[in-house]
This record gives sequence, C-alpha cells and structure tokens, in this order.
Amino acid sequence: MTAAIVKMPLGHATATADAILAVDDLSYVVGGGARELLILQNISLAVKRREFVSIVGASGCGKTTLLRLMAGLLQPTRGSVRFNGTIVTEPDRQLAVVFQDYGRALLPWRNVADNVSLALEARRVPRAERGAIIDRLLAKVGLADRREAFPLQLSGGMQQRLQIARCLAQEPQILLMDEPFGALDAMTRQNLQDEVARLSAESGTTVIFVTHDLEEAIYLGDRVISMESRPGRISEVVEIDLPRPRHQLRTREDARFLAYRHRLFDLLPTTGH
Amino acid sequence: MRIPGKGLVFPLAVLLLWELAARSGYFTSTSLSYPSAILFAGWGLLVDGAMWKATRETFGAALGGMAIGAFFGMIVGIAFGLSRLLASLMRLSTESLRPVPSVALIPLALLIYGYGYRMEIVVVAFACFWPVMIVTEGAVRGIEPRLMEVARALKFPLVARVTKIILPAALPRVFVGLRLAASISLVVAVTVEITTNPIGLGYGLIVAQEGDRADRVFAFLIWIGFLGWLLNALLLRAQRRWFGKFGNWSEAAR
Amino acid sequence: MTLRGPMLWGGSVIVLLLLIGLWQLGSNAGVIPQAFFPGPDRTFETLSDQFWSEEFWLAFSETIRRMFFGFVLASVLGVALGAALGSSPTLREYLEPTLELIRPLPASAVIPVFVLMLGLNERMVLAVIAFGSIWPALLGTVHGFKTVEPRLYEVSRILRLSRLEMIWKIALPNSLPDIFSGLRLALTVSLILAVVTEMLSGAEGLGHNIILAARSFRSADLFAGIVVLGAIGYVTNAVLERVERHVLRWRNS
Repeated sequence: MTAAIVKMPLGHATATADAILAVDDLSYVVGGGARELLILQNISLAVKRREFVSIVGASGCGKTTLLRLMAGLLQPTRGSVRFNGTIVTEPDRQLAVVFQDYGRALLPWRNVADNVSLALEARRVPRAERGAIIDRLLAKVGLADRREAFPLQLSGGMQQRLQIARCLAQEPQILLMDEPFGALDAMTRQNLQDEVARLSAESGTTVIFVTHDLEEAIYLGDRVISMESRPGRISEVVEIDLPRPRHQLRTREDARFLAYRHRLFDLLPTTGH
Repeated sequence: MRIPGKGLVFPLAVLLLWELAARSGYFTSTSLSYPSAILFAGWGLLVDGAMWKATRETFGAALGGMAIGAFFGMIVGIAFGLSRLLASLMRLSTESLRPVPSVALIPLALLIYGYGYRMEIVVVAFACFWPVMIVTEGAVRGIEPRLMEVARALKFPLVARVTKIILPAALPRVFVGLRLAASISLVVAVTVEITTNPIGLGYGLIVAQEGDRADRVFAFLIWIGFLGWLLNALLLRAQRRWFGKFGNWSEAAR
Repeated sequence: MTLRGPMLWGGSVIVLLLLIGLWQLGSNAGVIPQAFFPGPDRTFETLSDQFWSEEFWLAFSETIRRMFFGFVLASVLGVALGAALGSSPTLREYLEPTLELIRPLPASAVIPVFVLMLGLNERMVLAVIAFGSIWPALLGTVHGFKTVEPRLYEVSRILRLSRLEMIWKIALPNSLPDIFSGLRLALTVSLILAVVTEMLSGAEGLGHNIILAARSFRSADLFAGIVVLGAIGYVTNAVLERVERHVLRWRNS
C-alpha cells in the first residue's frame, strides 16, 4: 500500500545556499544492458549544517546505496552529490561513515585506544597529542575503562560505540550512519540512540542517519526523509518539530510524535517496519 | 583450471625473451638451454619411452607408499578420533615422531632395503601417514554425534560401525587429506630419487644434470610439475563430483 | 577437571617411556636387528658422544645456518613480494596463473637446475633453500591480502590512508594468520632442502652426516642424526608457533 508521491517544492528540499551536503537529481543504475537495474531515481535533497537528517525506508529501497553515494564510496550514474559545494568523487575524512557491521569495520588486532588512534594517524595528528584526544573520545562514548581491550572482547554495543569514537576522531563535518543499531538489542539500541543525539548536539556535527526503523528515525531526526522502493525515490520529507533533548518515554508518547508516525507509516509498505 | 588470457601474457613473454636471448647468442652460457630445445628434448624423451618408464616407476613408488601410509593413517586416525583417551595418551609419542623430516629417513631406508622400490615406498609411506592421520582424526571427531548414537543403538560391532557409519561420514574431509597426501607422495618420491634412489623421474633429473643436459633437466622438471598439477586437478574433480552434492555434509547436518 | 590435563600428560609420558622400553627389549632380544635399529641405549650413547664432539657441532651449526639463512631471507622477500602482489589487483591478474603453475612444483626437483647454474657448492645450497622457502611465504601473503575484509578497505579509503599505510596498517596485520601459515610451511621446506642439498653436495652438515653413516653402516650415528633432525624440526616449529600465538593473541578473545 503506497501513498501518492508527495512532491516537495524544489525550494524546500534542495535549498543549496547553506547546504553542507546537496544531492542533485541523482540516479543510480547497476548492471548493464538487459540486466540493468534502477536502484535510485531522481533523488534530490539538501542537508543543512548541524542538521540531524533521518532517512527511512523498507529494506532494499536503496537507502544504504544512497548513503554510500553520499559518502563517495560509489559514483552516481546521473546527477551529483556536492559537499560544501564541491562534487564528491571519492571518500573523505570529513564524511565519516558508521557501518552497520561494526565488527568488520574495526581492526581486531588493535586494542580500543589504537583503533581510535587510526583516525588520528590518518589525520597526521602528532603522536604526543593523540593520547589526550583518545581519552576524551573514549570518555564521551563511555569506553574509557576498556582502553586496552581488543574489539573481540567487547559486546556489540561497545564495538559500535568504538566505531563511533573512531569516526568522531576524524573530526568529520558529516557523520553518515548506516543502520548503525540494526544488529543490536532493543535496550542497547535505545542507549546508543540517546548517545548519538547527545554527541551530535555537543559537537555540532551534521548527521545523516539511515534506518528502517520509523520510530527511531522520528525520535532522532530534525527531518525525516521517507523513501519508497523499486526504484528508490523520496516519497516524503517531514520536518520534525519535537523538543530537544529527546526522551525515550516522553518524546515517544508526545502527540506530535504519534502524528508523525501515522503520517509516515502510511507511506511505508505494511511489512516495512 | 581456466587460465584467462591475461594470465598467459607473463609466462609467454618470459618464454619468448628466453628463446630470443639464447638464440641471439647474447648469453653465451649454454647451461640453461632454451624453450624450443627443451620442448624438443621432452618430446624425444616421451617418444623413446624414457619419460614413461620413469613416470611409471615414480608413480608406482608414490602410489604404493601413499596406499600404505594412508591406510595406517586412517586406522590410527579413526582410533584417535573415537577415543580421546587413546589420543591423549599417545600424544607425546606421536608428537615426537612427527617432526622428523621424511628426508631424514632416506638413509635409514637405504640402509635397510638398499636401492629400489621398497626404500622409496617406506619413506613415502612415512610422509603420507601424518597428514592422513591428522585429517582423519579431525574428521572422525567432527562426525555428527547423532550418527554415533545411532550406530551404538543399532548395536553394531566395531568393524561394522567403522565401515558402515564412521568411514562414510568422515569421507569428505578425509578425502581432502588424501588429496594432500597424494601431492606429498609425488614430491617425496621425487626427492628420494634425487637424493639416492636410481629409479624414476628424480633419477632422470640427476642423470640429465650430471650429463650437463639442461634441456632434459627442464623437460623432466616441467613434466613433473605437470604431473603434480594433473594429479591434484583430477582428484579435485573427483572430490567435487563425489562430495560436491553434499559438500561437507557432515557439517551441514549440524 | 583441572587434574585431568596433567594426568593425561603424565600418562602420555609413561606411554612414551613404555614404548622406548619395548624398543630396548626388542633390541636386546635381537628381535629388532641392531644393524639397522640400534637400541635406545646405543642411540643415547652416540648422542652424548656427539654432544662433546666438535665435529658434530660444526655440522649442526652448518645445517642450522643454511636453514635459517634460507628461511629468514626467503620469508622476508616472500612476504614483501606477496604484499606487493597482493595489494595490486592488476598484478595479480597477470601473475596469479603463473604462481599457480609454480606452486605444485616439488622444491627438490629444481635442485638440478640450480646445480647446473651454480655448481655443487654453498651458493647452490643457499639458493635452493631460498627458492624453495620463498613460495609458501609469498603465496600465504597473497592469499591473506586477497581475503582482507572489504569493509576495512572502505574504511581506509574514507580515512584517506596512503597506499603504503593501507598495506602496513591494514592489509598486512589482517593477513598475518595466512602469512604465519606460509611461514610454517617455509620453515619445514627449508629444513628439508637443507638436508637434501647437504646429501647431494657433500657439504659439511647433518644431512651429509647421516647419508655417510648409512653408507658406512653406522646405524647408531644414523639414528642419532635422525633424532637430532627431528629435534630441530620440533624446536623450530615450536618457537614459530609461540611467536605466532603472541602476535595473534588478539584472536583468542
């Protein structure tokens, strides 16, 4: 059951003036000839500085592909991705990516501190300064007491926090998060949701958060972009007007929260939660 | 094994350069021959039967050794796999024997049996015993416990249990070990022939080298490499055909 | 179950001693021909004689020296070349089929080629050992590089790591398990080739000693030599495994 596509006036979603990331009429095709598959179609959106944007959609709608295109890991077939006005042709430290499969994005042979250090080494931060930065970041994500542990000794939630710490160590302008809490249990998920909200508010980092969990998208975002599948298109963009800081109980029971949920729920296929 | 076009570029280029360099007289040393001469020598050896005779001899010793080594390896492997107690008690003894390089036994075999097939078979058997034993032990340990219970419930005597249930269940993994043993048997056989035994392909190599016939040396070398590749490829085919349907079905069952 | 482990180990010691005892009995009774298999007593006696013999230690050190020279040199080269090869998909495409052709070649079969090239001397011995040992290390490294977690490649692209950094900080550590596999094989090969080349070239060494002992029907010397070679194999392997366990300690969590 799909809703009618709500076309946003061009000005609303694509005001590029102070957009830190702008996607302009992007399409993405895989395969060739007879086996050509259109994954994304005419995607246009603009993300403002310090904004927390949630992208929500059913599994397979292309939201992860969109995120990877924004990160520069993939190149669009048509259209463009611009970061601070410049076209994105390759990945960059400023566009940090938090992957869903955290275990595979960490270096298992380095301990917690050294995993964070990797980003600092990449930035050529002088050795003497690294320790303090690592301590600060580990404290922020709550891993200060596990400095010497190896990733395989950590729980899933801790590993994900480690990945987030490493990404923060890049001092990125944008944090791209690809269903980061999908592999975690409900309670850890809620804790990490609040941590991410807090971290981004504190550091002023722009966050683009991809998820299939509608409530998570609304809970975290300033704006929710809803996608529909086959091919992936933006179906609706909803501004979230809920007070910050958000609260797991109060916000989720807020009448506006439920209203947003209703509105966006109808846009997702019934099996898409 | 499909060799894609690009993969041929490098070896062909090397062969071409080698041929040209030798023919142009730029490198005066004849000690390394060149591709066309090697091909010619190899062809000659095949045609006059020398290559085949040597191959038969090497394979005979290798196969004989592998049969013996694999046989005992499987028996001991099954015994160790079924009885952890036995395995633990024998651990020190086996671990003392295993590190002995098979080549170190060549002089011993020579002492006992003199030149000929027997000494070579013995050395090959020793070399093949270990990988087969280890793989078999692991394979037997890894058998679905349900199957073992079924075997016991049906009150099979030991031999029947082994032949009807254990061996078939362990066979896919054991076969991989047998493949490894086959390669080892060829390598060790050739090594024995190179060091002491005057039969087979290894001996052919030595004779050619002592006669300063570089073309023959390379011909034998390439032939040996080809045989090794062929052996492994055939066994791999057999493995895929027999076990490909279930793959490691003993592991899929769990 | 803490008592079980040591008890079993003790049990295996007893079993080994029993077997040695049986060997001794068989030897005394003449069931095991002394001409071929000296009893444990004679073997031990020969070993202790060798312990005090300068000649023995000379031969021993020669064998060890060759083995290590070949192994260390070949490993470093093999890993470096493997890293270069493994990190370049284009190079791999061109060279992998050739590598697959070289892989099944018995290392000892190339000895005659080296003899033709270099003669029956020390240079040949070292060249053969190095050549034989380089392939397992190289192939292991290439395989390790091929199986690097793709996600980590993406991370290195995002972090803008230089090619060298990517190899040194990500691909190489990730490949260490495979590299160690290759190194263990290279170690075995280097010992085997050291012995074989010594047998062939008559150069001073343990391999030469045992073939000489066989030809002179000195079974005790032969057996002692086998024991020593087995011990070398065991110790070197154990040391390598120790190193491997330490380097890869992050795995055991």
